[in-house]
Amino acid sequence: MSTTPPTSAPTAAPSAPAPATVTLTIDGQTVTVPKGTTILEAAKTIGTKVPHYCYHPGLSSPAMCRLCLVEVEGAPKPQPGCVTTVADNQVVRTVSDKALGNRQGVLEFYLVNHPLDCPICDMSGECDLQNYVHAEGREHGRGVEPKRVFGRDDFGGDVLFYGDRCVMCTRCVRFMSEVEKDERLTVVERGNRSVIDTFFDEGLDGTHWSGNIVDICPVGALVSKAFLHKARAWDLEHTPSVCASCSQGCNVELHTRDNVVQRVKPRENLDVNGWWMCDYGRADYEWMNEGDRIEAPLVRQADGSSKAVAWKEALGGLLARAKELQGRPVKAVVSARASNEDLGALAELVGALGGGEIVYRSPRSAEEIVLQGFPTLARRKDLAPNVKGAELLGMHRVGADDATGGLDKVRAHDGIVVVLGDALADQDERFGASAALYVYVGTQLPVAARAAHVVLPVTTHAEQEGTFTNHAGRVQRFWPALTAPGMARPAWLVLGALVGELSGEAVPRTAADAYAALAEAVPAFGGLAYPKLGARGALPMISGAAVSSGAKGA
Amino acid sequence: MSGRSKGAPFKNPGWAGNTGEFDLSEAQVRGDDFVGERPKHGGHASGAGTLPYMLADKEPEARLFEGEYQQRFEKILTRYPTKRAALLPTLGLAQEIRGHVNPETMDRVAELLELSPAYVRGVTTFYTMYNKAPVGRYLVQVCTNISCNLCGADEVLATFLRYTDTELGETSEDGNFTVIEAECLAACGFPTCVQINSRYYENVTPADVQKIVEQLKKVGD
Amino acid sequence: MAYPYVSDKEARVVSQGFGDPKQRRIDTYVERGGYGALKKAFGLSPDAVVDVVKASGLRGRGGAGFPTGVKWSFMPKQPTKPHYLLCNADESEPGTFKDRELMRWNPHQLIEGCLIGAYAIRAKHVYIYCRGEFFETNQVLARALEDAYAKGYVGKNILGSGNDIDVTVHQGAGAYICGEETGLMSSLEGRRGLPRVKPPFPAAYGAFGMPTTINNVETLCAVPHIVANGGDWYRQWGSEKSPGTKLFCVSGHVNKPGNYELPLGFPLASLIEDVCGGMRDGNSLKAVIPGGSSVPILNAEEAMSCKLDYEGCVTAGSMLGCASVIVMDHTTDIVKAVRRMVDFYAHESCGQCTPCREGSSWTAQIMRRIEDGDGTEADLDTLMQITQQMVGTTICVLSDSVAPPVQSSIKKFRGEYLARMKAARSTEVPVAVPAGVA
Repeated sequence: MSTTPPTSAPTAAPSAPAPATVTLTIDGQTVTVPKGTTILEAAKTIGTKVPHYCYHPGLSSPAMCRLCLVEVEGAPKPQPGCVTTVADNQVVRTVSDKALGNRQGVLEFYLVNHPLDCPICDMSGECDLQNYVHAEGREHGRGVEPKRVFGRDDFGGDVLFYGDRCVMCTRCVRFMSEVEKDERLTVVERGNRSVIDTFFDEGLDGTHWSGNIVDICPVGALVSKAFLHKARAWDLEHTPSVCASCSQGCNVELHTRDNVVQRVKPRENLDVNGWWMCDYGRADYEWMNEGDRIEAPLVRQADGSSKAVAWKEALGGLLARAKELQGRPVKAVVSARASNEDLGALAELVGALGGGEIVYRSPRSAEEIVLQGFPTLARRKDLAPNVKGAELLGMHRVGADDATGGLDKVRAHDGIVVVLGDALADQDERFGASAALYVYVGTQLPVAARAAHVVLPVTTHAEQEGTFTNHAGRVQRFWPALTAPGMARPAWLVLGALVGELSGEAVPRTAADAYAALAEAVPAFGGLAYPKLGARGALPMISGAAVSSGAKGA
Repeated sequence: MSGRSKGAPFKNPGWAGNTGEFDLSEAQVRGDDFVGERPKHGGHASGAGTLPYMLADKEPEARLFEGEYQQRFEKILTRYPTKRAALLPTLGLAQEIRGHVNPETMDRVAELLELSPAYVRGVTTFYTMYNKAPVGRYLVQVCTNISCNLCGADEVLATFLRYTDTELGETSEDGNFTVIEAECLAACGFPTCVQINSRYYENVTPADVQKIVEQLKKVGD
Repeated sequence: MAYPYVSDKEARVVSQGFGDPKQRRIDTYVERGGYGALKKAFGLSPDAVVDVVKASGLRGRGGAGFPTGVKWSFMPKQPTKPHYLLCNADESEPGTFKDRELMRWNPHQLIEGCLIGAYAIRAKHVYIYCRGEFFETNQVLARALEDAYAKGYVGKNILGSGNDIDVTVHQGAGAYICGEETGLMSSLEGRRGLPRVKPPFPAAYGAFGMPTTINNVETLCAVPHIVANGGDWYRQWGSEKSPGTKLFCVSGHVNKPGNYELPLGFPLASLIEDVCGGMRDGNSLKAVIPGGSSVPILNAEEAMSCKLDYEGCVTAGSMLGCASVIVMDHTTDIVKAVRRMVDFYAHESCGQCTPCREGSSWTAQIMRRIEDGDGTEADLDTLMQITQQMVGTTICVLSDSVAPPVQSSIKKFRGEYLARMKAARSTEVPVAVPAGVA
C-alpha cells in the first residue's frame, strides 16, 4: 500500500474538477470532507482525535488495534474509524457510551500483560497508552493473573525493544516493509505469544531509516539507545528546525533540556519528508552541544597572540582596516551549512568591499539513499543543508567530495580573505598568512585561523533563526533552540553590521529583515517573506510561478 | 528415508492410514489395483499438491531442494500466481527433508522465493506444523480438545508420556518420541485421535498405547 | 462394510460413498454416474448453474449458513481479472469431522463440485485449501486429482467443452484461523493467516487481489447432486429456510458417534436416541453443544426440544454452526470442558486484534484458576464481562466464539462453577469427576 499523497493542494491546477464531497455528522457536528475520507480523518478536521494505535497516515491500515471503533448509526457492530469511509448522512458517535465502553474494554485488555513500568520507561509522558488509559480507562484493573514476559532485545542500529510494553500495533513492521521496503521486522508466533522480532541475530544493522520506528511506536516498546534514560518527556522543549545533515531539508524538532539538544525528531511535512527522517540526520546533533566554542571576538596582536575584545572594538578595528584595503580583491570561503541570511550578508560584504570570489566546500556522498516507500525523500548526495542557497547566491563549489582541498588560491591570497563557517580542517596554521586582512567567522577555532587578524564568534543554526534552501529550492525556516555561548551572534547580524557601516545602508535587526533584504537583492529568493514561509517552508516565486517542487516528484 | 511395505501400516509411520476398521492400506487409497511408490515426484504439475511427509528418518543436515526435491520445488512454483504463495508448501518440503525448520532453512527458502528472512520467520512461527526445533523420530500429537477430552484423552496423553518415558514437549532420551498435546484433529467421532508423524491413530484408548509405542520402537530397530 | 455406524433415518446424499473403498476410484465414481453433473453444467450457462443452486436453497455448510447461490452471484459477470474458487477444507472446529470423511471417501465428488462451482463463477483455478494435518486425506485427494487430470475431467478443454479449469490441492500448516475465509486467503498467498477487514469483500478483492469465492467442502460436495437432480429435488428435505440434508458430526458420550446425513430440522433428541443409539452406559444427558465449540451450550432440557436446523437451534438458544453435535453425559466436568475450549481459542487466536489476543488468553487463565480451585465468585462476573468485551469488536469472529461456551455454561451450570470455588472446596462439595480421569 502506498503512502498517503501530500494533502496540500497543488498550486497550479485551476481547471481540476471540484472533488466530490460527503457530508456527515460526527458527535452532533456536521462535517463535510472529500469522498473516500475515513471517519478517523474526518473527525480530525473538527478537532476530534479518535484514539488509535495501529493507524498511521503514512502506513497501510490493518484495523487491528480495535481502539478506534466508533458507533455508526445503522451498523450492527462498532466500525473501525481508520478504514471505514464516510458516507452521506452518516451519523457517527465517537464519544457515546458504546464507543467509550468499547475503548475502556480494549484498554483494559492492553493492560492485562503490560508491565506498567512507567516510572522507568522513556516513553512516559508522551505515551499513548498512558494518555488513553488516563483519559478513558478503568479506574482499577481486574487482572490478577501472572503477566507474560518477553524481556528486552537489542534490535541493532539505535533501536532497543522492550517486548512487554508492546501493544502489537505493527506500525514498525509495516514501516520496514512498506516504507523502508527492507522487511527486517516481523511478528513472530501468534496469538498472545506474538512478539515483534527480526530474523534472529540479523537485527536492523545496515538499514538507513529504522530510527523512524521509534518515533511511530505509540508506547515505550521501541526506544532509542542514544536517548535511553537521558531525559523525561515533560522536561523537553520542542523547537521546530530543519535537519542540517544533507540537502533534503527534513523538517525536524530539536528536543532540548538545560540548553542541550537531547534528540532530534522528524516533524510532519508532506512536501518534504512526510513523517520520516534518516538515521544519519537523526544522529547528527552532538555537534550542536559541543563546548569548545569561540565565546568572544579575537583580535591578533602585534606579537602574534590573540586578545579577546568587545564586539565594538573588534568590528571597529576591522572596519578601519577594511576601509584601508577597500578595492583589494576579496576571496571568501563559506560553508554550505550557513543559512541563506548568513550567506546573503557575506555576499553583500564582499560586494561592499569591492567584490571578489566566493567559494564553498561541501561533502558529497557517492550515492543517494532513497526512502523506497516515500521516494521524494532521500539522504541526498550533498551532505550540507544549504548547498542550493549558496549556488543561488553565485558561490562556486571547490574541493573534493570529502570537502577538502581547493583552497590553494585563497590560502596564498594577498588581498582580503574572509572565511565563514568552514572549519578548514585540512589546512595548517599558515593558511591566510600572506593575506592583507584575514577574517575568520566561525564557531570553533581551528589551527588554520591562527593567522586571522580578526576572529568573530557566531552561532550555529541551532542557536539562531534563519532559513535553508533545500535541494529542490524550497526555503524553510528554523528557530533557535539553544542559547548561544558567550558573545557569539548570528553571522547575518555581525556581517550585516559591517555592510551597513561600509555602505551606509540600514542594518538588519532581525532574521526576517535579513531575509527580506536577501529577497529584494536576489531574484531566486524573491516573493517570499518569513510569515509566508510559516513552519513548513515554500518555494520562491519567480515571475509569478512557483519553482517546480522536487518534493512532489514534479 | 524409511522403506514402505504394503499392507503393514506400522512399518511406515510416514504413511497416514488408520487403525481398526478405518485402516486404509495404500492400495485402498488409490484403488485395489494400485502398486507403486509414494509419489515423491509431487503429482500432476498443475494439480495435485506436493505433499510433504513427516518422516521418521530425518536428516537435519541434508542439502535442500536438490535432485527430486528440486523438481518438486519447481512444480510447486507452477501452481501459484506468485512466488510468495509457494512459501507454505516449500517450508513443508524443507521440513520433510530435515525434520524441522531452522534459521538456516528459513534463510534458504527466503532466498529461493525472493522474500526477506524475517518475513519467512514470521510465517513459519505462525503455523504449528513447522517444527522450529528438532523433534523425535516420532512426533506423537494427542488431541485433547473437547470431544476427545470428554472420552478420556488426558489419560491417553498421560499413558503416552509414561510409555515413551518423556515429559510433555520433550524428546525421549533414545530420540524416538516427542509427545505433545494437539488441538482438534477433526476425528472427533473416533476419540481419542492421536497423530504420529503423518499418520492418524483413531479410537486410541490407554490400553492401546503400549502396543503402539512398542511397534514404533521396533520400526526404529 | 458398513461405515462405522449407519442409520435408516439418514438421507444419504453427499455421504453416499462413506465406507466403500471403491468409491474413491475414478472408474467406480464414473460408473456410478460421477462427473455427469459436470457435463450437465457445461451444457448450461454459468448463470443458469447459479440459478439452480439458488433454487435449491443450499446454505453454506461451513458454519455461517450463507446461501451459496447468492454468494456465487456476487462474482463479476464479465471477468476482467482471473477469478478464483477456494474450497475451504481446513476443517478444525472442535467437534467437526465431516470434511475429512467427505474427502477421503469420495474425493471425486468434491472435485466435481469444485469444477461446477468454478464454472459457475467463471474461475479458471480452484484451490482446495486442505488442512495440513490431513496427510492421508491430502494423499487421497492428490491421487484422485491426478486420475481426473489423466482422464480429462480437470485441466485444459475439459471433456472437449472448451472450458479450462485447474484444481490445486494446497496444504495448510496448522492454524485454525485459516478456516476463516479471509485468513484462508492470507495463508494461501503465503502469509501469516491473518483475517482481513471487510470490505473489500472477497468477491471484489479476494485471493491474490482477484475476485474470489470461498466455499466449504460439504457445500461443494452437495453441488453435483443439486445440478444433476435440480433445486426442487434438494428441497424434498429440510425446511423452507433450511432445505436439504446436512452431515451431523456426533461426538462425545453417545453409543454410536459418527457422521450422519440427515434432513435439516431433524430433532436433536431423536438424533441422540434413535440415530446414535442413546447415551453411553445408559447415562443421563447433561448438556449438548449443537454446532461445534463456538456456539452456546444447551442443557438437557433445551436439547430435548431442539430442532436441528439454522432457525431451530437459534430458537433453542444456540446455533447450528457446522452441525457438530457434542454430547455430554452427567459425568461431564463442565468447567473443565469449557476451560479446554477456551484454551483452544487462546492457542488459535491469530493475535491481530487486541480483544482477542489478550482476552482469549486472559479468559483461559481465569478458567484455569477456577478449575484448579482458586477462583472466586467475582471471577464469574469478570468472565461474563470480558468475554462480552470480545464480541463484535474484532476483525473476524474467533473472538466472538469465546463468549458462547463461557457465558452459556456460567448461566446454565453456575452451580458447578461455584462448587469449584475456594470457599466451597473446604466444605467438601462433591465435584463431578468425568470417567477415565484419575
